[in-house]
Amino acid sequence: MDQGILKEDMIRVENVSMNFRLMNDRISSIKEMMTALAKRKVKFKVFHALEDVDFTIQRGDVVGLIGHNGAGKSTLLKIISGIMRPTKGKVWRGANIVPMLELGSGFDYDLSGHENIFLNGAILGYSKEFLHSKYDEIVAFSELAEFIHTPLRNYSSGMLMRLAFSIATVVEPEILIVDEVLAVGDERFQEKSKKRMMELMSGGTTVLFVSHNIDQIREMCNRVVWLDHGKVKMIGEADEVCDAYRKQFLES
Amino acid sequence: MSFSTKITFAFYGIIVYLLGISIYQVIREPNVWAYVVLAVTLLFVFWLLGSRLVSKKKPTVLSRIQAAVQRFSFLIEQLVARDFKTKYKRSVLGIFWSFLNPLLMMAVQYFVFVNLMKLRNLGGQNPMLEHYAVYLLVGIIMFSGFNDCCNQALRSIVYNASLITKVYVPKVIYPTTKVLSAGINLALSILPLYIIVLINRLWPNFSILVLPLGILFLMVFTLGMGYLLSSCVVFFRDIEFLWGVFSTMWMYATPIIYDIGILPNTVQKLMMFNPLYHYIDFVRQIVILQQVPTAQETMICAAFSVGMFAVGLLVFKKTEDKFIFYI
Repeated sequence: MDQGILKEDMIRVENVSMNFRLMNDRISSIKEMMTALAKRKVKFKVFHALEDVDFTIQRGDVVGLIGHNGAGKSTLLKIISGIMRPTKGKVWRGANIVPMLELGSGFDYDLSGHENIFLNGAILGYSKEFLHSKYDEIVAFSELAEFIHTPLRNYSSGMLMRLAFSIATVVEPEILIVDEVLAVGDERFQEKSKKRMMELMSGGTTVLFVSHNIDQIREMCNRVVWLDHGKVKMIGEADEVCDAYRKQFLES
Repeated sequence: MSFSTKITFAFYGIIVYLLGISIYQVIREPNVWAYVVLAVTLLFVFWLLGSRLVSKKKPTVLSRIQAAVQRFSFLIEQLVARDFKTKYKRSVLGIFWSFLNPLLMMAVQYFVFVNLMKLRNLGGQNPMLEHYAVYLLVGIIMFSGFNDCCNQALRSIVYNASLITKVYVPKVIYPTTKVLSAGINLALSILPLYIIVLINRLWPNFSILVLPLGILFLMVFTLGMGYLLSSCVVFFRDIEFLWGVFSTMWMYATPIIYDIGILPNTVQKLMMFNPLYHYIDFVRQIVILQQVPTAQETMICAAFSVGMFAVGLLVFKKTEDKFIFYI
């Protein structure tokens, strides 16, 4: 990494715990609630999705988040991006965060690509001036100039993803949160999007990145956080943690 | 003119407007209610701007509201535009339906109640019934505006579940934009209303200046209702169906097609607790009788609006962190 960049904290995750209450069956109507209350059957188990997670991410870090299914990776990303509020602890953010948790979740399929660029951009928190200035760049990157005035319901799923990726990565955000989005479009576009991500990362953006692809993590990240059943099992250099993670797999 | 100065002008415009109306009330009839209206308006302005008097540095409530509006205005604009575009996307007449719909509804109801059921002048004494078509149309526009807003807002959280679980946006925005776009529809239907008003030879006088206040009262009340409903529906989906029944009940309990004079005395007293009766009556007085409603009427409307808004917002704020576990 470029040593010239000042090391300052961008995200501080401080003793974050997240508990979910799992009810026997979800009560979602007044009648069920009444009968359950009458029978005193409103019992629930507490599920600890995250327990005392504590780490700091510094400017320019590309941090990988690994762990088995259900280790709490997505929950942690949601807490860091402000979508969920943790049961205990808190998250401090040094800058605005652009979450790319699921591409295109704000699309309206009755509107055209052109209209969706503005709608989706607004949802991601971009300003009007910014979108106007970057509009051509978004269209060019998505390679959808021909279809940009067609309603989205006529797009193929690959086209949708290309548009979504182009909108999400047009910013140069200070903190980017990515949840396995690199597998977008055909092989050629995948290469292109990977290049774009690399560009963003080398531009000094702080990235928090979730993937099950260990090779990809090794290639892109400089630090890795390994979550296991809601606890931090290991934090450190990418190669070190990835080796340990892989080793545990081979043993089990 | 930059965007933030436009917002500043709009806010100060509203403040001057409210002060103007309350001063007019005092001049017209200096009774207790008129002074209450003036006092409440002054208190409200003081709440908005008061901290400026105490210290120069502390941001006023108004400037904080402005900052929030400015920050999210682009998103709100996009969401409202989306509602309009998708609503009329594939219809031939497009936005024209916003004008046409209340007119056609009124035509049907006028035909049924006047020609078939001979309902005209059932109340007898009420001078407003002279112009039954206008009387009916005001009621229909106001109530269906309210009902539209509530129905849209009701589903706003549940239907945007995929967004709420993935992007951080203040959740209040969803019901707010729904009420806004239904509210714009309501404002648009004032135009066909005035066509009928002019056909009835009711030439508007200065009292029409108070008409926006009546709409504003209804919108603030509806916002509160929208917050309350949208957050309750997340926890109990049954409310969606219950609300359908309840709003029909509410419609018949409100003097829209009939006059309050035909009701028994006890029911007339109960009607005082129906906020929609007050809002509709407020606008009818302006449109049909061409007079500014009394200070007392204004105060009652304001109290219902602010009360509902506060309750709705409070419930929403208290529960919004839990939405994500239930949608």
